[in-house]
Formats: sequence, structure tokens, C-alpha cells
Amino acid sequence: MATPKGGNFGKVLEIDLSTQTARTRAIPDEVYQQFVGARGLGAYFAVKEYKAGKNPLDEDAFVFVGPGPLAGTMCVSPRTSIVNKNPYTGLLNHGECGAHLASEIKWAGWDGIYIKGRAKKPVWFSVVNDKVEFKDASKMWGKTTDDTHEMMIKDMKDSRIRSIVIGPAGENGVPYSCLIVERFRAAARSNAGIVFGDKKLKGFAVRGTKYAVPVVDNAKFLAAANVAKETNISDPGAGRRKVWGTASSMETNNFVLGSLIVKNFQTTWWPDVVKLGAEEAERKFWKRHVSCTNCQTHCLKLGVLREGKYKGLIAEAPEYESGGLLGTNLGMKDFDQMAALIEACDAYGLDYISTGGVLGFTTEAVEKGALKPSDLDGLKPKWGDGDTYMKLIDKIAYKQGKAGKLLSQGVARMSKQIGKGTDAYANVVKGREMAAHDPRGDKNRFYTYCIGTNGADHAEGASSSDLCRVAMNDSLCLCTFTSSGVWGASTDKIVVDMLNPLCGWNWKTDDYWMAGKRILTAERVFNVREGISSKDDRLPKRFYAEKLPAGPKKGVVFTEEDHTKRQTDAYKFLGWDEKGVPTEVSLKAYGLDFLIEDLNAAKRKYNL
Amino acid sequence: MEEKKLPDVLKKDTTRRDFLKGTATAAGGALAISAIGGMSPKKAEAQYSVQTAPGTKPFAQKFLYTARHNCTGCRSCELACSLFHTGNVRPDMARIWIEKYKDIVDVPVICWQCDDAPCIAACPTTPKAITRDAKSNGIILNEKVCLGAKCMKCAEACPAKYVRGNPDTGQPLICDLCGGDPQCVKACHAQSGNPQGPCLMSRPVGIGMNMSFRNVTPEEAGKDLAHLLFYPNVEGKRVVPAKTRKGR
Repeated sequence: MATPKGGNFGKVLEIDLSTQTARTRAIPDEVYQQFVGARGLGAYFAVKEYKAGKNPLDEDAFVFVGPGPLAGTMCVSPRTSIVNKNPYTGLLNHGECGAHLASEIKWAGWDGIYIKGRAKKPVWFSVVNDKVEFKDASKMWGKTTDDTHEMMIKDMKDSRIRSIVIGPAGENGVPYSCLIVERFRAAARSNAGIVFGDKKLKGFAVRGTKYAVPVVDNAKFLAAANVAKETNISDPGAGRRKVWGTASSMETNNFVLGSLIVKNFQTTWWPDVVKLGAEEAERKFWKRHVSCTNCQTHCLKLGVLREGKYKGLIAEAPEYESGGLLGTNLGMKDFDQMAALIEACDAYGLDYISTGGVLGFTTEAVEKGALKPSDLDGLKPKWGDGDTYMKLIDKIAYKQGKAGKLLSQGVARMSKQIGKGTDAYANVVKGREMAAHDPRGDKNRFYTYCIGTNGADHAEGASSSDLCRVAMNDSLCLCTFTSSGVWGASTDKIVVDMLNPLCGWNWKTDDYWMAGKRILTAERVFNVREGISSKDDRLPKRFYAEKLPAGPKKGVVFTEEDHTKRQTDAYKFLGWDEKGVPTEVSLKAYGLDFLIEDLNAAKRKYNL
Repeated sequence: MEEKKLPDVLKKDTTRRDFLKGTATAAGGALAISAIGGMSPKKAEAQYSVQTAPGTKPFAQKFLYTARHNCTGCRSCELACSLFHTGNVRPDMARIWIEKYKDIVDVPVICWQCDDAPCIAACPTTPKAITRDAKSNGIILNEKVCLGAKCMKCAEACPAKYVRGNPDTGQPLICDLCGGDPQCVKACHAQSGNPQGPCLMSRPVGIGMNMSFRNVTPEEAGKDLAHLLFYPNVEGKRVVPAKTRKGR
């Protein structure tokens, strides 16, 4: 058991909220060589510590917030990974977000923050280098995310703190609530808001002034980091994101790719996207570009509305997923209304992907007569009716009234409760709402929606090898846009060339792929223990049954062949059998022998 | 109504210094607005360079300059600075820093290499612990002479509230221009500029530019930027959801 030479400090901060104590947990270099960090390290904790069927809202359930080994160095590595067992889906979950939190955790001398326990009264805590302080959060309880962040700054008398907090949605136990970092950044798909709320934890703030990430061979590392940066600067895709952010995909996916989502996935054709997308935003809304740590792409765009009902509204809007889910998905034509909906989700700490999915589903259910205004406190949502959607978001965040109680359950449970054939348009994978890419228009999205660990996630890769690359990106906390994968220009070699001089490892590119497969497979074993198999790796009914009625991909449907081809390809690549269960041989090859017993028990239990 | 929303800096009594300050802010605002409308980085840069009178030579010495509204808050300048001066990436050791204002704007806080250097004038030791390097125009700290955290007269004197204490030794962190080749400028340009052009620049600059811009504290600069970019919501308040605004 060796302490890491570089990249990592070899210690994770363990917070126990029940006793309000903090301790250091040593992590040996061998574990980092296997699981890398962040998402991988979280998966390692989960498979090691949790038995099958663990209640994710138990007192000793954990949330792991982790930066990767590359964070806090000259490499562009600004992402933070949040890992927990998701009460919404019952599966292992990881959510990533940008900003400066990851680097700050590293500069405070930690490889991650592991939170367990449950406080009796609302608390938050601050981490300043080695010092942890627990503080009363009763005045913060009920506040929106930005107010909470401001209160933390005031309390710590330091404007350079980095915070991660929940909003009212998390406190009220909305299962698709999330964590918000520094006002505008959402770890939306983490769904950890409800876990924080259950632990009575409003959030925490980090400030690191004391430590620098140790580097084994600085000269080599800096050269390699520079190669990675230059590669991504010269990439045309990154150039597009520099100017228009991810919102530029709204127009592209409507007019070229045919994968924009419209009206709860009824079609992919919405010419009015020109009133919502990047061009419109650049013309009338965006005022500045915002970066994560050291990133040259600055894909976040902030803007302000200068007139109208929402005069003065400052929002990070739209980016592709938020503009898709809360814009075209709801049949919107009004930019201001869309921006306001997005901002409301940020303020309440709601995952806007799930929120948009719920609102879209509700509107279609009303349209088809399965839901009546009397079920929704008299509200009658119509496509494009931003005011009603705003009222519904208010109700969801506070679980208020009949509508709030119904909608805050999420689409899967709503559909089950309503019945009346709503399952034909309940677009969920593994119990969660889908992101803004129609798999009929962009068929390789099947990989991220179905094979990925989270279920219905938008950012887990669009091919077998991509799943692996993204697992590595999330574990190294590289952004998919500035690293390897379909959306980034780096290669496996560029990443390994950075890792070796940083950590003092002796990796080949094979080790990179092996680690990616190991992390994915460990996560899969966790999910198999919860009863997941090939039958769950399926898109919702709509995509196999309904042809696209219009747009560039008019007439296309996701066929069974499309499905089988991609599923088999992914299983084969990752060393899983035809039922989607990792084989004993591959577990041994990945060094996951300790999971064989668990896996066999699960196979017997679920007859796999 | 709108009068109230003006930054405080514009409403102060007009002593000579405050007058300079006010005009600088307004001029900066006007420049920035004109630069935003899709101007090419080259053209924007040209606009900032100060023209010297015909027949006179521009100064050979270097100054740092920041077009604050171009900052994306990536902090690559901080990282590069700390790497150059300490061999490690540790932004709190950097001689340049990015201040966040209301979470909506980022303010690069730099040393303007003032011609009259109030920090050097305020330094109480003999010989002076901080001096100006004649060749590079950077401010050099003599760590053996400096009294450190118990003094910090230089920080008090700095009109830009730029000087910070070193978290390890307590001595001031002041910009030495990396001996004439500022790493922060390189790092900023290596980000390949944002669509409006890079934020940090270093070039021979004439008298006046750095003198007037320096008299703005990070907070005042943040207010300026918020006013420039996010009018009418200059305080950066959250507009939705209305429910929480009613004090729920």
C-alpha cells in the first residue's frame, strides 16, 4: 500500500453529519491506479461498502464529491463528480458539473469529500484547507441556491469560496432535485439533492490556499498538458462551443441532424427553434462568456433580459439540454419564458432534464385526456404556455397541492398512477426522464441512454468505446468537450501522456481502456445487484413504435435491429454476456475478483 | 430612478483624484461597449493602445493592462503566475487574481505598475523593501527587508486594493512582470482569446491609461462591469422564482 506520488494526495475527507465530525481516510495509490478517482473512486466505495438493496436514504448512505487527479494542475480539468446511490432510480449514479469546485478541493489538500450520516437540524460545513467547521443552516433552509451561496460568502468573509448547495426542491424531497455549484452550474443528473435534504445538509463551501497538487515530472507534464490544450483549441467543434456554447446544437439538431426533441418526443421538427436557439440568444440575450478553471472553451453564456415581463432576468440560458427540455420540448416560442423556466430550475435546485420531461409528459397527458385540470389544481398546461409551466415548477419544488404531489414523483411513477395508456408516451429509461436527443434522429444515443450507468443520461458516450472514454473523463474529471471522445479532440495517448508524469505511473494506452472498462463494469455489477439486466437496457416504447412525422429524419423509427446491433456491440466490447451481466472471466481480467460472489448471488436471485 | 443605479464611484465629490476616477470609469465603459459589437480582436487591441504625440518615442517600459469585460474567469493567469513564481499551481500565491462580483462578473485584479507607485512611497523600511526594476518596470520585493504581515503599508496604499498577503509568509504579493515577460498575458492569449479578444495585455503604454484605471477597487470594478453588462439588473438579483422573492 503505497501513498500516491503525484496527482493525488492519498486522502479523502470523510464527514459524518450524525456526530458532526471529520476524519481523514487514506486511499492507497493502488486504488487510484485501478479506479483513477472521482466517478471511479465513488463506484469503488459503492461496490465495496453497499450490499444489494441498500436504502439510499439510510443514515450511513454516502454522497461522494470528487475531483480527479488532474484537477488543480495546468491541465484543463475542471469537473467535479458526484456519486451516490440514486433514490430516484435505485441505481448507482454519477453526476458531473464544471466551475472551480474541483480545483479548490484539491488546493485544500483533498482527493474528495465523502459525506455520510444525518444531522438533526439543518447544517452546512466549510472546508478551509485542513480545517472543517460545521455551521447552523436554519437561516439558509428554504432559501434559493444563489441566496445560500451569498450567505456562505458572508459567513466566511471570503468571496473566493466555492460552494455546492441544494435549493428548496432538495429540502422538500423532490426525487429529481440536484446540486447547484456557484449559482449557475448544475450537477443536474446527480439527483443528490434529495439525499442532501434527507441528511439535513444544505451544502458546503471549500477554500484551498495551502496545498499544490504534487507533480512527479513537472517539465514532461506541462508539455503534455499543453499538447492537450492546443489539440482542443484547434478542434472546430470546440471553436463552435467557444462562440455559441452548446446551444448551437439546438439549430443544428433541428435543421441538420433531426434529433431535437419537440413536444415530449412527438417530433424533431420545430422551425421556431430560431426564436430560442444560439443565434437569437447571441443577438438579444448573451452578454458574456464564462469559463471553468483554466478552460479555453468558456461554453457557459450569461445574459440579461432588458425588457418584458422578466425584465432584468439574468440566466445561464439556453444551453443545449436546458433549451431542448424547457424550450422545444414544451413547444415554446418565447425566448424570455424559456429563460425564466431555466432560471427557476437553477434557483430551486431542480434537474431541468427531468423537470422538462415531467412537464412535457403532463402536457401530452392533458392533451390526450388522461389528466384533467382538476388533477392539477385547475391548471391546464398547453404547449408553449410558459406561465402555467412556471406555476407548475413552483408547485413541484414545494410539492404543493395535488399538482405538486403528482408531478414531483417523476414520469415513471406518474404514468403508473394515472394508467390510461400513458405508458405509450412515458419517455423514461430505468425510471428516469430522457435528455434532449431523440434516438431516432441520432441512433447512437442509444449507448448513453441505455448502456450507461445512470439511465437516460445524455453524457455517457455515443459508442462502445465512447462509454469507456467518458468513464475515464468523468474519473479524471476532464470535460468531455475538451478531452477524448466524440465531442473532444484529445486521444487516449494524450491523456496517458499527461497522467504518467503527473502520477509517476507507467501506463500504456491499454491501461487507459482497461481502467475505463473496469469502472463501467464495477458500476454495472452494482446495478445488476439491484436487478438490472438486458431487459432494462431499452428505449421507451415510443421510439420503436412511432415514425418521425417531419424533419430531416422524417419516417425514421428505432428498429429492433438498431437496438440489438448496438446492444450486442456494447456488451461484447465491455465483456458482458448477452443478458448484460459481466462475465466472471472479464471480472477477473479487470481485477474485480471481489465482486464475483456478489454477482453470482444476483444472478441466482434474478434468474440471469 | 436610473440615477440611483449608477455605481457609487460616479457620485463621489469631485476632488481631482475622484474626478480622474470618474472619467476613467466612464471612458472604460464607452470603450468596452464599442468593443463588444463583434469587433475583431486586432481592431479592439488597436483601440486600446494609446497614441503618443507624433515625433515622440513610446515608452520602452512595460505595463500590464486588462480589458476587464473580456475576462471569462478562467483563472489561467492565476495558475500561470503561481507556476512561474513558485514552481507549483497554487493560485493564492499568484500576483494576479480574479475576483467574483455577485457571481455574475469576474474582475481581473492586476498591478497597474503606477508611475507614482504609492506602494513604494508607503514602504517604511530603509532601504525600501519594494523597489521598481528599472529594466522591466516590475515591482520587486526584497524578502529579507520586508516586515511582512505586521506592516502591509503597501497594501493600504494601493489604490486598486490589489496587494494581498502571501498565505505562507504574510509578505505582500506584488507583480514583478516576470522580469519583463508576463506569464499571465501569455496564458490569457494561449486561451486563444474569447470572441471579444483577450483580457490581459502587456505593452508599452503611455501616461494616463494605467493611472486612471488603477484607481478603481475590485468591488467598484465589479459594479462597473455589472452595470455595463447586466443593465438593468445591476445588482445581479434573481428575478425568478417570484415566490421566493416574496420572502417565502
